[in-house]
Amino acid sequence: MIMKNPEVEFCGYCITHPSESKINFRIQTRGGIPAVEPFRKGLTDLMDVCHHMLSTFEASVKEYKAQKETEMD
Amino acid sequence: RHVGKMAERGSLEEMRSRVVLGEFGVRHVHTTDFPGSYPGYTDAWDPVTFRQGFHVDVTHMDEGLLEFDLVGIDAAIANAFRRILLAEVPTMAVEKVFVYNNTSIVQDEILAHRLGLIPIQADPRLFEYRSQGDEEGTEIDTLQFQLKIKCSRNPRAAKESSDPNELYINHKVYSRHMTWVPLGNQADLFPDACFRPVHDDILIAQLRPGQEIDVLMHCVKGIGKDHAKFSPVATASYRLLPDITLVQPIEGEAAEKLKKCFSPGVIEIQDIKGKKVARVANARLDTFSREIFRHEELKNMVRLARVRNHYIFSVESTGILPPDVLVSEAIRVLMGKCQRFLDELDSVPTD
Repeated sequence: MIMKNPEVEFCGYCITHPSESKINFRIQTRGGIPAVEPFRKGLTDLMDVCHHMLSTFEASVKEYKAQKETEMD
Repeated sequence: RHVGKMAERGSLEEMRSRVVLGEFGVRHVHTTDFPGSYPGYTDAWDPVTFRQGFHVDVTHMDEGLLEFDLVGIDAAIANAFRRILLAEVPTMAVEKVFVYNNTSIVQDEILAHRLGLIPIQADPRLFEYRSQGDEEGTEIDTLQFQLKIKCSRNPRAAKESSDPNELYINHKVYSRHMTWVPLGNQADLFPDACFRPVHDDILIAQLRPGQEIDVLMHCVKGIGKDHAKFSPVATASYRLLPDITLVQPIEGEAAEKLKKCFSPGVIEIQDIKGKKVARVANARLDTFSREIFRHEELKNMVRLARVRNHYIFSVESTGILPPDVLVSEAIRVLMGKCQRFLDELDSVPTD
């Protein structure tokens, strides 16, 4: 998600130690915007993707159930 | 030179959208469509293009199994859902077992372990997580079950019978012997709900006359990350949509051989002007055994690939929640995580 942002020059993560749940996340921008912005934008974009997926999935399930009903009758 | 450019374009599209299975390795595995990777392509995130390219198709659904296609998302997000389904969708399961009497041959801890693994039919969304350090448990986070059973000799059995079903009463302890004991105001909150194990016929232990089991169990809400007993799916997996193309037309005997190299239904033989010609009928059914690479004359005539952003998900539920509810819950868990970080970002002052 963050990699898809053209302002981001570098984005990566590593897990410091497997027994701790901590992730080192690094974002480097091309110099135009503060690095927190792609992070924020990435999170909001991911939220939007999830919202859209949820509604599409539920619509699809409803449609499938309705189709099944008509087939039964 | 023009032909060269066309071929380049074709292979560029292939590199961007397909994972190609070669004879000795798999090529173009990773997603490469990021801004700046390809001249002439702008791959920046665009919600409109995403919405246009994304769709969900449900292919099969019943109470236990859901199969659906997710088209147009990245591998990272599809994998995130698979992992969340396995490890982060909460369920209720037996956590603490208070053993009042256990004279059976099954040790206390083994019995407790087995009881923990039994799936409990209770909607986890109606309950809260137990707070840290709380030993007793309140009615909002705990479900109590009792298992009290005693085995005795059957006085009406025949003299020479050696069948344990006839000789003993209650010698097999099943999950249907677990009874719900309402705590506090649970009897009023859930008058119609009956909380019980999903399956009635799970064999917990076997007893002989004189042995008894008397335990009280507390179920709490947990996630699969903590202990696998809390995982709501039997398993959740996905595969990429296969894409088989015949590079050259294949006829006659070779066509028959080709058909045998793939799963049944993938390759269809048509009769055109007396000759048998092979055609790819339904690539989706193939399981990619790569049998084609064992035949010298056929291996260069077919291109085996997978479509990189088309995921065929298969979610099988243990019975606690229907599989479509599980997928919705998984999406909500991911949204919850995003929201948590957004809130933290907003509350921490950035200098």
